Amino acid sequence: MLMRTDRTTANRFAAGSDKVRPAVQLDGVTKRFGGSVALHEAWLKIQPSEFMTLLGPSGCGKTTLLNLVAGFLEADNGEIFIEGALVTETPAHMREIGIVFQNYALFPHMSVANNIAYGLKTRGIDKREIGRRVEEALALVKLSGFADRKPRQLSGGQQQRVALARALVIKPKVLLLDEPFSALDKNLRGSMQVELKQIQRELGVTTIFVTHDQGEALSMSDRIAVMSAGRIRQIAAPDDIYRRPADRFVASFVGDANILSGRIVERQGDSAIVAIGDVRVNLAAAPIAALSIGDAVDVFVRPEHLTVTAQGASNALRGTVATQVFQGDHVDLYIDAPGIAAERILLRAPGIAMLSSCPAGVEVGLKIDSDDIVAFPPGAAP
Amino acid sequence: MKRSPAATTLRWLGRVLVALILLFVLLPGVVVAISAFNDRAILAFPPQAWSLRWFWRAFSYTDFGKGFWNGLTVTVWASSIALMVGSAFAYAIHRYKFALRDLLEGILLSPLIIPHYTIGLGVLILASQTNTARGFPLVIFAHVVMVLPFVMRSAYISLQNLDTRLELAASSLGATPLRILFTVTIPLLLPGLLSGWLFAAILSFNEFTATLFVSSQATQTLPVAMYNYVREFADPTLAALSVIYIVVTAALLTIANSVLGLGKILNVDAH
Amino acid sequence: MNKRPFLGWFVSPAGLVAVGLIAALLAVFQYSVRAYVPGSLDVGDFTLQNFAAMLRPLYAFAFGNTVLLCFETAVFTLLLAYPLAYALVRTNSSALRSFILIVSVTPLFLGEVVRTYSWMIVLGNNGFLNTLLIKLGLLERPVQMMFTAGGVVAALVHVTMPIMVIMLAAALSHIDRNYEKAAESLGAGPVRIFFTITLPLSMPGIVAGFSTAFAWTFSAFATPQLIGGGRVSTVSTLIYQLGFSSFNFPFAASLSLIGLALSLAVIALLKKAASPLERMAGST
Repeated sequence: MLMRTDRTTANRFAAGSDKVRPAVQLDGVTKRFGGSVALHEAWLKIQPSEFMTLLGPSGCGKTTLLNLVAGFLEADNGEIFIEGALVTETPAHMREIGIVFQNYALFPHMSVANNIAYGLKTRGIDKREIGRRVEEALALVKLSGFADRKPRQLSGGQQQRVALARALVIKPKVLLLDEPFSALDKNLRGSMQVELKQIQRELGVTTIFVTHDQGEALSMSDRIAVMSAGRIRQIAAPDDIYRRPADRFVASFVGDANILSGRIVERQGDSAIVAIGDVRVNLAAAPIAALSIGDAVDVFVRPEHLTVTAQGASNALRGTVATQVFQGDHVDLYIDAPGIAAERILLRAPGIAMLSSCPAGVEVGLKIDSDDIVAFPPGAAP
Repeated sequence: MKRSPAATTLRWLGRVLVALILLFVLLPGVVVAISAFNDRAILAFPPQAWSLRWFWRAFSYTDFGKGFWNGLTVTVWASSIALMVGSAFAYAIHRYKFALRDLLEGILLSPLIIPHYTIGLGVLILASQTNTARGFPLVIFAHVVMVLPFVMRSAYISLQNLDTRLELAASSLGATPLRILFTVTIPLLLPGLLSGWLFAAILSFNEFTATLFVSSQATQTLPVAMYNYVREFADPTLAALSVIYIVVTAALLTIANSVLGLGKILNVDAH
Repeated sequence: MNKRPFLGWFVSPAGLVAVGLIAALLAVFQYSVRAYVPGSLDVGDFTLQNFAAMLRPLYAFAFGNTVLLCFETAVFTLLLAYPLAYALVRTNSSALRSFILIVSVTPLFLGEVVRTYSWMIVLGNNGFLNTLLIKLGLLERPVQMMFTAGGVVAALVHVTMPIMVIMLAAALSHIDRNYEKAAESLGAGPVRIFFTITLPLSMPGIVAGFSTAFAWTFSAFATPQLIGGGRVSTVSTLIYQLGFSSFNFPFAASLSLIGLALSLAVIALLKKAASPLERMAGST
């Protein structure tokens, strides 16, 4: 199981590339609980060896999707394929899927070795082979020598490694990770993420990772499916999700965003020019294609894409510093700009220079310093 | 969850099994109900003619009426005393370390495993040694001993679920220990204490073995009166009484289930 | 300021009850080593005769019989209560849940006498079962079910079912369903999941339920007395006969003392035998 595959890259998993047979495919899968729709017509193709993250707030349907792939839930509509085979009606225990649960679900009455061996025993593999593969799996997660411990004698991080080894030792067709880091403390979380990602790459195992933490999603994934209210909002590589969110929800859920009020002044093919106060920005026309010249739009600007400039500088917005918050490696400035933004504008300035140069009450100019600006039709809710 | 055909078969077998077991549990109750309406004085199946006369006899038979009121007296006293003694003690063992703590706890929990006839016989002998009359206090004492473990347990569980920071908060606001006890601790423990009391009351009302030893003709409770009746008569009066008993208990439990959530009280709710 | 407010007030009433209980048990102990004075409630001098008498086959048989009865009852109760507890915890229908809960718990609150009486009607020669089986043509004449050990066990199983169901259901409801899902994802079918995951993890409930059923049965009096009708002798029925028919309280006291010791010993033994099982279930 320790064969190496090439380092995977986001490009290989570009949506729509049909040359490889998808490892997992969902065709219009819908799941209802009572009257409410937990998952609405999900279409998703996950390529072999891909690390796909389902990202969204609680109740968005990401866990439902995971349970449908695992076979713990039955789809009301649509079909699910694993490695090209239709599995919609296949019981969970015949799907050959590895799962790491949020609380790990290590069998408390079995030793570490027996936990890992469990899936091999159900497959009727002979004892010596089981012993060899358990050893191998323990080595993979750096827990050799822990075989005879009970789960409760392990730390949270060690338990997670065992859970991972147990899921991987059966050479699953897909590895499902259900918020595996949420039970770990912050320091451990970072190093476990790096380690998990490394193991996943080494083995080249197709992985579906469920999380509500955008940081985890952005740092680990080949592609991210952002979900909300039972629907997949956008499927794209992490940088695309961050730079070119498909809708208001994605723009505000992934990363911080200031919402500025603008007006469409011009259209040129794929792009549009939007005026925010006196400032004009060039941005993609697609999200606001339905609007006409002169219509109001909401412009989403990341805090790190704003810079402070002298007050009254040309092509700059005006505002008054309301509060400054020292964050160590950077300073957050909260700026009142009535008429431009309904809420305080957040500006993220690297270094500590702003602490002294921009005290509260000072009027400043704001420059928009990036091409990664998007606009959407105005609306109250994200 | 999707299932293989074998799993589906298993599920159906399981359902049939559960239905059969429920039938076993229900059977005696149903049979008693049928015989309660039997007109003839001999217990025989199936009844040839129907009548309500055994219900009238159950109501008019003085030993039952007396047993009921005796039982109620014993139950109310015993479970209330047990509630006060048991929850106070549970508070002490939950909060403090003190001399003989574990020994005392062990002694008070022991009636869970000491056969009731040993307790009954012991109290009876103790009474005769100390020339105590076989009156209500004796019966009540025996009942307190037997229901105390249940009250202690439910009070202790409630105390464990109590956030002690609430008491610290009250203390920081200037409340004396006594005021904290009556304004914070007891009100928050109340649901647990009440369900403990209810459980104790039901057990006490139905206790039979030890009561048989310690009660006299004047203090016999309903179960003892019923036992004596069975030994003397073979008519369906007791069936009629049992039907009343079953109906009242099931009704009380159904109410308790919808109001309090029986699953929660009995700690069998899935997480 | 007093670091332990109310300590004295809260402990002394309980202490009083404990003293009373110990006094009662000591009274039993004291009577058990005194001579029986026929025809009198008073007792004679110190003697070990009561304990020596217990070696007589009649009493030795009653002890053995009681332990056997308790074991049979506990085993059958466990076998019947487990599926019920499982269904109670795992059913998705809340109506069915409530139904199972009410049906299995109600008997707990009916008391031994009512339940035993209903079994007398079920098991009697003209009772429900015999009549039914004869009507169905399965029997020609009534089979003796009253006054048999089998009848006593059936009724005792019914008496101990509710507490067993409650204890098993409590244990089952505390098993994280993810364990079973994890096993399923690892390729285990329903039967394997039950025997490798669910059953071992419910072991604490099984042990607690089994010991409780055992202790209750050991303590049961109305059922063996009424359904056994004197033909199924147990420790409890013997004690009652000795105490209230022959007024031989010293012997009754020694019997109940041995009964207590025996029941404690068996429960301790059960606990010891079960401790590897409990450790297996990971509940230390």
